[in-house]
Order: sequence, then structure tokens, then C-alpha cells
Amino acid sequence: MKSRNRISTMRRRFLALLAVFSGSLLTSRSVATGKQRQLSLHEADFYKPHDLAG
Amino acid sequence: MGDVTCELCPRYCTIPEGGAGDCRVRVNIDGKLVATTYGRPSSVHIDPVEKKPLYHFHPGSAVFSIATAGCNLHCRNCQNWQLSQRGGEEMERIYRAEPADVVDAALAENCHSIAYTYSDPIIFYEYVYDTSVLAHDHGLKNIFVTAGYINEKPMRRLCQVIDATNIDLKAFDDGFYRRNCSGSLKPVLDAMVIAREEGVWLEVTNLVIPTLNDDIATVRRMAHWIRDNLGEQTPLHISRFTPHYQMRNLPPTPVESLHRVWNEARDAGLKYVYIGNIYGHKSESTYCPNDNTRLIHRVGFSVEEYNLTSDGRCPVCNQKVSGVW
Repeated sequence: MKSRNRISTMRRRFLALLAVFSGSLLTSRSVATGKQRQLSLHEADFYKPHDLAG
Repeated sequence: MGDVTCELCPRYCTIPEGGAGDCRVRVNIDGKLVATTYGRPSSVHIDPVEKKPLYHFHPGSAVFSIATAGCNLHCRNCQNWQLSQRGGEEMERIYRAEPADVVDAALAENCHSIAYTYSDPIIFYEYVYDTSVLAHDHGLKNIFVTAGYINEKPMRRLCQVIDATNIDLKAFDDGFYRRNCSGSLKPVLDAMVIAREEGVWLEVTNLVIPTLNDDIATVRRMAHWIRDNLGEQTPLHISRFTPHYQMRNLPPTPVESLHRVWNEARDAGLKYVYIGNIYGHKSESTYCPNDNTRLIHRVGFSVEEYNLTSDGRCPVCNQKVSGVW
């Protein structure tokens, strides 16, 4: 289990580094800490324009 | 404790303890298969139903649309790759939204339906199912926007709580699925037939990608298959490709190619063929298959004019138009 946790931590750090290079500070911070901003649904802007297909 | 096999989709991932399936979000925790994004959508929007696209299902209605991270396909041209090709832990933001929260929000915003969309909702199946049951209890409809890469048993079960689906038929070519999506064609065709058999309103989308799936003989086979297996009344959305993700080397689909595909589908006998992703194109609108009266005038995702009778008929010739009106 310990080694899996270590791999998971290393993976998170690697992804965080990638996110830094791609310019996303929010992503890098959340990935590095393993903590996303968990938001209430009421905090979502349902009508915000987006470019997702579907 | 040991491996678990996920039987949701044709991949049949065997997942070791602590590991995740190919979709990244279905994991083995202590020997149990857990959908980690249950109640944790990363995208929540209100869209017109035309955006799904569904053109014959309550036109002009508002749809509360949710998606979690992950996908069981890996399409090189994915437009939503920042959502679909990531695990939940990689998302910048995640909402806490149990099924009751989703239903409450959809009702509060006066939405007609809830859509499970953007990524492939197959991978958050349990969340879709539970939310759908609750949505029905409160008079909401359910829309499943998917690539249809799912096994028969879960698909039939899901059809009991889904009202409409748009299934993305990426190409009528197994090689295309293998090369570009890491999937296969047959399960998708089966899913469409199941939706039809189970009485779920079905519309089909085909994204036309230059040189990869625009061969006219293949398009003809696809149109004939839809006519023979799903029915000539099945709406087909022919969509324009624009470069995304790992497929930026190809140009947007020429409009002439879309017209060729449209003509082929109409020649095969399909009654409702639409062209998508070209704003203002006349083939965004619905015409009577009998006398060509314009029944629903659309511009983009907006319904500008609605001329169907209350029971879904052409006001001029009384031709019945298939759909849920």
C-alpha cells in the first residue's frame, strides 16, 4: 500500500509539473495537493458560455 | 481481496486492487468496483436541447446538463478531451451534487430534462441511473448523450429510465474505431438497436472527418444500415469536424463534403437528415417529408419558428412527424 501511495504522490507531482508548464496554476495546485476545490452546486454558473460538445 | 472485472462496457477491464479501469474513474477499492465520480460532476450547464443534438424531442426546451471526468473511449479528435481524458483527481473543480441536488437544481431552473453528456456518461452509469429515477419521480425527462460503447445488459437496464438518447456513430467502419477511438463498431450498433427496441427516442450523430470517414460508399452503407435497423424516421445529424486534441493536422470538413453525405443519406431514404456545426445552414431546420413545408426553423441552437401541430403533424398536409413533441 505504501509503495502505491508513493507512486500516486509521484504521479500527482508529475502531473502538477505538467500543469505548471501548461500555464494552469489552479490545476497544478489542486493536482499537487490532491485536493480539488469541492464546490456546492449553487456555486456553478449554469449559464456561463462553454465550448463543450454535446 | 483481488481483481475485479468491470462489465459495463466491452473493454471488460480487469482491475487490480487500488487500480482504475481504462476510463480512469471506475476503481477497485478493497475488492469492490467503485465509481469515483458518483455525485461529483465537473461540468454543469444549462443548454438548449438542440445542442445535444436532439431535434425531435421537446424542441426549444432547457436541459440541465452534467458530466464527470473520464471516458471509455479515447478519440483522437475529442472536442471535450480536457474533461473526458482525465481522471477525477485531475480536474480543477468538482461539484458536490448528489442525485437529489441535481434534480432540485434542474427544477429550480425550470429545466424540462436532465442530460448526461459531454464526457461519456456510460462511465458514471450508477450516477446517471439514480439521478434518472429521481428525475422521473419529479416529472423531469432524462437524456443520454453517448458514443454507445456499452454492453447489452447495462444498456437495457438504463433504457428503463432514459427518455431520449443521441448516439454518436463515429464511422461505419470498425477500423476507424480501432485506429482513432480505441474501440470497436459493433457494440455501438447494438446499443442503437437496443435503444430503439426499448422505446427510447433515438437520434444519431455522425461527425464527418476529412479523409478518415467521408468515403461515400461507407456513408451509403451507414445510411442503409440506419434505415434498415433503426428506421427511416430516425434523425441523422451530420456534423462538421473542426481540429481538436490529437487531430489538429486535418482541416475542418469542407461544406461540399457535408452536402455529399447529406445527399447520400437522403437518397438512402432517411427522412430527417440535418447538417450541424454550420451556423445558419438551412439543413438545421425540420421539413415535412411529404410536402417539404418548413416545420421547425432553427438558427444555431435556437428555434425561430415552430409550425408543427400539437400532435406533431405538418399543418399543411397532416403528415405525422416522428418525435416526442
